Amino acid sequence: MNPLLEQFLSESREFSQGIGEKLMQMEDAPSDQGLINELFRLVHTLKGNSGLFTFPEMTRVLHAGEDLLGLVRNGEIVYSRELADRLLDAMDFVMALCADIEATEQIDASRAQDSKRMAESLRALMPAVESESPAPVAIKPTFVPIELPPIAEVPEATRKEILHQCHQGDTLHWICYAPVKECFFQGDDPFFSARQTPGLVWGNAEPSEPLPPLAELDTYRCVLEFHLLASAPLEELNEYFRYVPDQVRIVQVDPQWLELAEPELAAALHPASNHPQGALDKPASPGQTPGKASAESTQEQAAALDAILSAQQQILTLDDSTDWGIGRLKAVGTVLLNIATAAGVHDIASELKAVLAECLTSGQNSLLLLWLEGSKEQLIASYAAKLESAAPLKPGADPPHKPKEAAAGEAVPAPSLAAEDGVKFGRRVVDIDGIRVGRRAEDILISTRTLKVDQAKIDRLMNLIGELAVEKNALPYLAQRAETQFGVRELAREIKSEHSVINRIADEMQDAIMQVRMMAVSFVFQRFPRLVRDTSRKLGKEVQLVLEGEQTEADKNIIESLADPLIHIVRNSLDHGLEAPEVRRACGKRETGTLIIRAAQEADRVVIEITDDGKGIDPAVIKQKAYEKGLIDETTLEKINDREAVNLIFAAGLSTAEVVSDLSGRGVGMDVVRTAVEKLNGTVVVESELGKGTTIRISLPLSMAVTQVMIIESDGQLFGVPMDNVVETVRVPRSNLRTIKQSLTAVLRGRIVPLKALNALLGISAGPRANSEDELAVLLVQSGSEVLGILVDGFKETIGLIQKPFAGFLSNLSAYSGSALMGDGSVLMILNIREIV
Amino acid sequence: MPIEYKKSRAVFHGVVSVEEAEGLLEWLQSKPSTKVDLASCSHLHTANLQVLMTARAKVSSWPANPQLHAWLESALNPKP
Repeated sequence: MNPLLEQFLSESREFSQGIGEKLMQMEDAPSDQGLINELFRLVHTLKGNSGLFTFPEMTRVLHAGEDLLGLVRNGEIVYSRELADRLLDAMDFVMALCADIEATEQIDASRAQDSKRMAESLRALMPAVESESPAPVAIKPTFVPIELPPIAEVPEATRKEILHQCHQGDTLHWICYAPVKECFFQGDDPFFSARQTPGLVWGNAEPSEPLPPLAELDTYRCVLEFHLLASAPLEELNEYFRYVPDQVRIVQVDPQWLELAEPELAAALHPASNHPQGALDKPASPGQTPGKASAESTQEQAAALDAILSAQQQILTLDDSTDWGIGRLKAVGTVLLNIATAAGVHDIASELKAVLAECLTSGQNSLLLLWLEGSKEQLIASYAAKLESAAPLKPGADPPHKPKEAAAGEAVPAPSLAAEDGVKFGRRVVDIDGIRVGRRAEDILISTRTLKVDQAKIDRLMNLIGELAVEKNALPYLAQRAETQFGVRELAREIKSEHSVINRIADEMQDAIMQVRMMAVSFVFQRFPRLVRDTSRKLGKEVQLVLEGEQTEADKNIIESLADPLIHIVRNSLDHGLEAPEVRRACGKRETGTLIIRAAQEADRVVIEITDDGKGIDPAVIKQKAYEKGLIDETTLEKINDREAVNLIFAAGLSTAEVVSDLSGRGVGMDVVRTAVEKLNGTVVVESELGKGTTIRISLPLSMAVTQVMIIESDGQLFGVPMDNVVETVRVPRSNLRTIKQSLTAVLRGRIVPLKALNALLGISAGPRANSEDELAVLLVQSGSEVLGILVDGFKETIGLIQKPFAGFLSNLSAYSGSALMGDGSVLMILNIREIV
Repeated sequence: MPIEYKKSRAVFHGVVSVEEAEGLLEWLQSKPSTKVDLASCSHLHTANLQVLMTARAKVSSWPANPQLHAWLESALNPKP
């Protein structure tokens, strides 16, 4: 994909997002002029950008949106939910088109109809005053009632000839092209388009309304429409008029229309109509084409052909080792093939194909150039001969190659440009006025204050910095060895001072890369206005969404993996939490429910709270449900307190909703939330007051890259325990240990704590080792809402390290969450406390 | 100049763009009896075409391009 298109896609996404946001904001402040201006500007820019490429489907919808917003801006129509709905739909459509483009670099032809419908639905919102404007709805009635195209317009001689063609099996299309009145301002020349219609057989320009007196004519308002007969297939015509499908009506011509166009003639012809060739075997040469003119035109066309061929020669002499050489070669090949086909020399065409194939495989132009030099004269001669014989034909009888001639003819001064842009763009190049092109070029130069970098590059940088951070830890060991093993204290001291410098730089680098990876939570939050709006609308609830702390930052991975859990929670709150307006009124609450999503940084964690003022969670119901589903046993049912009961909503398989809706109630939602949050080393808790509302609090680390780990020793081995799990470390005299039933316990800070030996948990047969005072080392860890003690042999230091998850077969070891490399080169296994206890 | 204004004739050259329409209209308004010479005209913008059609301009010589000739002849000499 070319970089310009890539840029366009990424910008389009941003813009669509921005437009969506602004539309939401408008809902709260429908008369905010600043907002509407901004909205208009976004749509306008997006439309302009889409016009740079051949995406008429996108441009059309955006254009309709722009017109609509223009009216809102001028206060001619009032912002409404209906309007926002349609504009949002239009933005979704644009996003879908972007996805198409990203996948295939083009828009599927089937989208054209959707696009037309979308644009019409937008335009339908414009007031009736619009009937003066180009809106398709306004134009349609003028020609819809016409059942039969006015074939009678076609001159008699032409008509016969066309009829003849029809009987030979050609399909004809009648095209009524009614350009919009303002088309001149869009740089259109409808007459030119009409003349270039593929397969044009006959055409006529008609005033679309009675022509005003000369004195009152507005030159810049198009008052003409074009009636055309073309022999090209419908798809080709649709493709040709894809920029203006709403201004064109195409009807397939029934040969009978031609026959019946003049009643008395039809009557006269009737007996012969079964043998039309017999009746019309001498197609009259059209009166409008004098022989002299056609002879001249033959010369003119031969000259044009000469120019085209010379241009191709010139192109072939260019350097063929460039990246685009092959593409250029293909373009030249296509042009030559078309010429050969048009000239009717099929042996040359097949010869050319062979040469071209050879050139394409070798990647060199020279063969084709040689061939062209040899066959040029022959091509021109046979083309001229063909023209001569075809001279009495109607103008435009040979249009398939016409546009190319026009393009190449215009482009002779800059042949490479025309050839590389492709024949299709030739005409556009001519149309675009210089000023606009200049301005676009400047636009691109200005806007580069921020860099867009592929995430893979950042990740690589982070990995390298991580390695550096680990590697630098080897220096103190080295210093130690220098001192103890080799006895050079001087060197040891120097290594240590070097280490402190490298340490500082590495820390700063780590900090810097973290900053780069930091992202504001607004990235996730920005989708909520739309989600809440759509969902609440679907549920028939009135909800006011408040977002706070959108600027809070956290690591990109964290932010991104936060999106799904948050959506689950918000949906849950909307579906189960907030009540319908009438219920709320009955409870004496405001009809509009409030949903607050708040983000804040607390020390090295991000805390996100989702609060609603809905009906809250009834702990009794939850307890009962959990018991029925077998999630808790009877003892738990008895002793569990309300707070713990409410947190049971995170257990798998629990749903309190009476009915399963498409939004929630399948009993997976909150379980998924908990799993996702825990995967990020986060915690999630819920607080709820019946009748008042619910708050769900998610706490996540700022960054996942560096984990603080406490190193412990057990049976001579070192293990790491994430500091997030560690509550405290204590030494307990063996005499203070009690055995209740089969499990060891100790009373610590007035509370009974169950104790487990790490060796036993890991299946190591050795018992815990006490120190000289017969005290056991106990590591108090948090597991879920419980605190328990793990008996280990000793505590070591706490270090920050980069944890690598296990890959391959090792990833099945759930007792460990990963491994990390220590400064001395040894591998430290990080325990997954939640799994082993 | 795509349009050369002579004493009693406007001579069109090559491609006559939309910018010419205003001038053409003024000229035709001030001199209703003049003729236009399209012999060396290869294309004229719709705006010019509709000016010519509204003014019912008389053509002294038709374009050399047969296709354009056919178009203009049917547009400027409409059937009654």
